[in-house]
Amino acid sequence: MTETAEVPLIKASDIEKRYPNGTLGLKRASLSVALGEVVVIVGPSGSGKSTLLRTLNGLETITAGEITIDGHLLHERAADLRRLRTSVGMVFQQFNLFPHLSAIENLMLAPQKVLKLSAAEARARAEKLLAKVGLADKADVHPAQLSGGQQQRVAIARALAMQPKVMLFDEPTSALDPEMVGEVLEVMKQLASEGMTMCVVTHEMGFARAVADRVVFMDRGEIVCEAAPAGFFDAPTHERLKTFLRQVLKA
Amino acid sequence: MTSSQTSRRGWVWHALSLLILAAFCGSLYLASKRIDYTWRWSRLPQYLLSTGGEEIDAPFDGTVSIAADDKTLTITPLLGVGAAQTIPDIAVPLVADGEVVFRGNTLGKKPGISAGPLLIGLWLTLRISFVSLIFALVLGVLAGLGRVSHNPTARDVASFYVEIIRGTPLLVQLFIAYFFFAPTLHLSAFAAGVFGLSVFTGAYIAEIVRAGIQAVPKGQTEASQSLGLSGLQTLRHVVLPQAIQKILPPLAGQFINLIKDSSLVSVMALTDLTKAGREVVSSTFSPFEVWFTVALMYLILTGGLSLVVNRLEKRLARHD
Repeated sequence: MTETAEVPLIKASDIEKRYPNGTLGLKRASLSVALGEVVVIVGPSGSGKSTLLRTLNGLETITAGEITIDGHLLHERAADLRRLRTSVGMVFQQFNLFPHLSAIENLMLAPQKVLKLSAAEARARAEKLLAKVGLADKADVHPAQLSGGQQQRVAIARALAMQPKVMLFDEPTSALDPEMVGEVLEVMKQLASEGMTMCVVTHEMGFARAVADRVVFMDRGEIVCEAAPAGFFDAPTHERLKTFLRQVLKA
Repeated sequence: MTSSQTSRRGWVWHALSLLILAAFCGSLYLASKRIDYTWRWSRLPQYLLSTGGEEIDAPFDGTVSIAADDKTLTITPLLGVGAAQTIPDIAVPLVADGEVVFRGNTLGKKPGISAGPLLIGLWLTLRISFVSLIFALVLGVLAGLGRVSHNPTARDVASFYVEIIRGTPLLVQLFIAYFFFAPTLHLSAFAAGVFGLSVFTGAYIAEIVRAGIQAVPKGQTEASQSLGLSGLQTLRHVVLPQAIQKILPPLAGQFINLIKDSSLVSVMALTDLTKAGREVVSSTFSPFEVWFTVALMYLILTGGLSLVVNRLEKRLARHD
């Protein structure tokens, strides 16, 4: 794995998210992700892990702290935000494919409109990516005719079509039927092995153990602890993490 | 009774429905008998299609000369300005040779069948509805986008418009259009009618557009933004194409409402189908026949449209 970068690709320092009603969604959370690193964020539901992930491409605003992506401050001003977003790919729990477009059109839209690629270039890129996620034969099919696992693979390909520097995954397998989880994780593993920088919120402990370079545990809006997977799962030091792991691994 | 039994004996129930309908019509007829009403349906057709011939009006002020065949009129402009105009095939001249006529005077009639007042009224109803629909669409889409805009001013203005229009009666709005806006903005009666109807319908279309846009899940916008698309690109390529599928059927329904609402412009100096009906009543003294006919004509318009709308809905549903 290439860990030559001095400046981390993503650096979030002391970020805080306070909702209008005063509750804190994130409490002084700091996270950095190096080039080529795979960071998995785990934690009980409502612990703020999705919120943290969504702040990293500006889908969620922050009330304190700062985030830099590839050395650029993540401003709230629309133009800068748009430019930064093209280098951050996002995969959602609910896939969020565009239902009125075919699979390949889903992949072609943003490269054409944002990167100003020609239709032919965008199509070539999209075909390559669909093949990569094993869906070359589904190019002209609309999302409604695809299974959940297939939809999520198209969604991953759609994010990749922008050639992002980092991919964010927000519980990518939580909305899937159990038999489809594997195919999506397989694609993600392949991406990780190719050196893609990834930040993954998930409940899949097996994936975290096998693929993560680092696992981050969040609870009640805080980053409680982080460690390499071996230490994280086999020798947890933190009391809250022990409780969490007992509950998850029992299930 | 199970549904399969209902469908197998369906025709029995439909026959019963027809019977009830016939009984209803019969009782209407009997009710009219009780007030000694004489039905004269035979008077009506001439108000739909007139066989009396088409009236020819003088195109400008001038002196008429009639040719020897008694069918060709030539009209020479007064004061000798401009060229003379020849009008052939006049069946029944209504002016005499050498008479001075003014622009708009009836010169005579050409033979043939022409639209009667009811059909002419129907045409105006269609025209005013269609033109109003175009303006209402523009207004409604703008106001609908305003309602879901991030800009507070756009939201305020759109809400203000929608609430005011939906909170006041259309008839009052039409009076305001006719008595206030027509003289102040120098609008013709037709333009004032279009103005009133499109402002009214636009408010309802705004709500349809707003609902359609809000029915597109938030995740769609988020996915689009996460790919780097701008707000406008997101609206154009992601939100609107999906919203339009949801908007089209209620929009077509709103057009049907517009056709019905347009009957209120008969209070302005506009001879739409309803006004034509009133005029025909005053010349035939057959209100029952006329109003039932007028109702039927509206029904044909709206019924035809709803058939189209139903087909549209089915086609859109297939693509889902």
